[in-house]
Amino acid sequence: MPEKAHTPDEAPGPEKAPARDAAGLAPLLHAQAVVAGYGQGVVLHGASLAIGAGERVGLLGRNGAGKTTLLRTLMGLVAIRDGDVEFDGASLRGRPTFAIAQRGIAYVPQGRELFPAFTVEQNLRLGGLAFGASDLSPAWAAFPWLRERRHERAGSLSGGQQQQLAIGRAIVSRPRLMLLDEPLEGVQPSVVSEIAASLDALCSASGMALLLVEQNVDVMLSLCTRVAFIERGAVVHGCDAAAVRATPSLLERYLGV
Amino acid sequence: MSAALTIALDASNYVLILMLVALGLAIIFGLMNVINMAHGEFMMIGGYVVLVCHQAGLGVGWGMVLAPLAVAALGLLVEELVVRRVYTRLLDTILATWGLSLVLKQSISLGFGPGSHSVPNPLPMAVSVLGQPYPAYRLFIMAVTVLVLVFTFWLFFRTDLGLTARCVIANRPMAACLGIDTRRLDRFTFAFGSGLAGLAGAVMTPLVSLDPQMGLGFLVPAFLSILVGGLGSVAAPLAGATAVGVTDTLVATFFSPVWAQGVVFTLAIVLIRLFPDGIATRRRRVV
Repeated sequence: MPEKAHTPDEAPGPEKAPARDAAGLAPLLHAQAVVAGYGQGVVLHGASLAIGAGERVGLLGRNGAGKTTLLRTLMGLVAIRDGDVEFDGASLRGRPTFAIAQRGIAYVPQGRELFPAFTVEQNLRLGGLAFGASDLSPAWAAFPWLRERRHERAGSLSGGQQQQLAIGRAIVSRPRLMLLDEPLEGVQPSVVSEIAASLDALCSASGMALLLVEQNVDVMLSLCTRVAFIERGAVVHGCDAAAVRATPSLLERYLGV
Repeated sequence: MSAALTIALDASNYVLILMLVALGLAIIFGLMNVINMAHGEFMMIGGYVVLVCHQAGLGVGWGMVLAPLAVAALGLLVEELVVRRVYTRLLDTILATWGLSLVLKQSISLGFGPGSHSVPNPLPMAVSVLGQPYPAYRLFIMAVTVLVLVFTFWLFFRTDLGLTARCVIANRPMAACLGIDTRRLDRFTFAFGSGLAGLAGAVMTPLVSLDPQMGLGFLVPAFLSILVGGLGSVAAPLAGATAVGVTDTLVATFFSPVWAQGVVFTLAIVLIRLFPDGIATRRRRVV
């Protein structure tokens, strides 16, 4: 592996490497100057991000800044062209998606991507099959109502219920990190706080780390301890969630139109 | 009455063989989006495996056991060497597998000669069906194909492997995100579908003259079955095979095999015009 040196030769990118850990431990996930995109286009121009074990990080940025692409790249759905992603000390670059999932990263994509023709229970079982995990109790514990409706088709559930099912499906394999993209999109306001509370309880109970993309900044700040701002495909600023609440101008600067 | 029974049994025979061939094609297409033009040749090679076993003194019975396994192994090899390199490009998969079908036909011609061969019927007696004598071997074929079809459906609808396969069919990227090794499933599915073709060829061999061109005669009606039945579910090609097989047998019996071809094609065109998604389009179905 001669390409070890990741020199910041992308001079114009004013990126702050947020690789920091109070205890001096190596982070669970460490993305270093990741370059990725679709076809000819580059979306991520050297994105760096670190997430500690059990840490909850929110990813904020304007539309098209590269939030979803970063999640997809971490998951191996978009190829890393330069830079590297380390998870639990091993490089994920060039690994197939299924192998990344098996290392302990779960992905709940935008739009949920359930299997609508399958039952609730079949959807949950599919979350564990590749891991030999037939115990669905993590999902039952997080969303008890799923058990009563386990024989219904996933496609017949409401938007909020489908989101809970998608999260349930992701946690059956007891992942160490969950990538969660816009979980509250298309969810009735009455259910938003319910889902947020379940997520909070879920992360606390399991010690699972979370990387959350969400437009609802209030919910994000209540769930996450740290926030990373992404702009034009690079993480440009990282700070504690409390600092964002104390300094609303940050939101203005990175999210304002 | 007795003639009607014989015709019904003959039609069932043909329909069941067609179902085996069409099902193999359909699960490969469903999972991998690959149209395997060499599927007929896989069937033909199943027949030659029986021939080789017969000539080697192993007997036709062993040939029928070994043929699906040998053709499944061939399928595995083909998947690894050819199909996986082109499977994102539909037109290229058609060209590549069509080329493969030519290679397989010519290889068999080189090895066994272009002429036809025959193997003896392992069950040459007749059995009485409702007082009517009927070839025992044809009943054996029906029993084997029904068992294999039931097994295939059990595999796809009652096992974890089947659930995984249907999940990959429904949403391949998401399946990978759930840790499912879609490549391994591709290999398995291609081998399994090929094995079905090999079995179909093997059990048909004692009834037909075996030659390198044999595959096409089954591939065309199998494709028609899929077009008529649609790909709405794993069961859809079976409905198509029934429509195609019954029509073919009836017209061939009462008019002539030449007319049968014409009528089947016309019927297929009409049905596809009336039901563009197939006659067995997906209704509300809990799978």
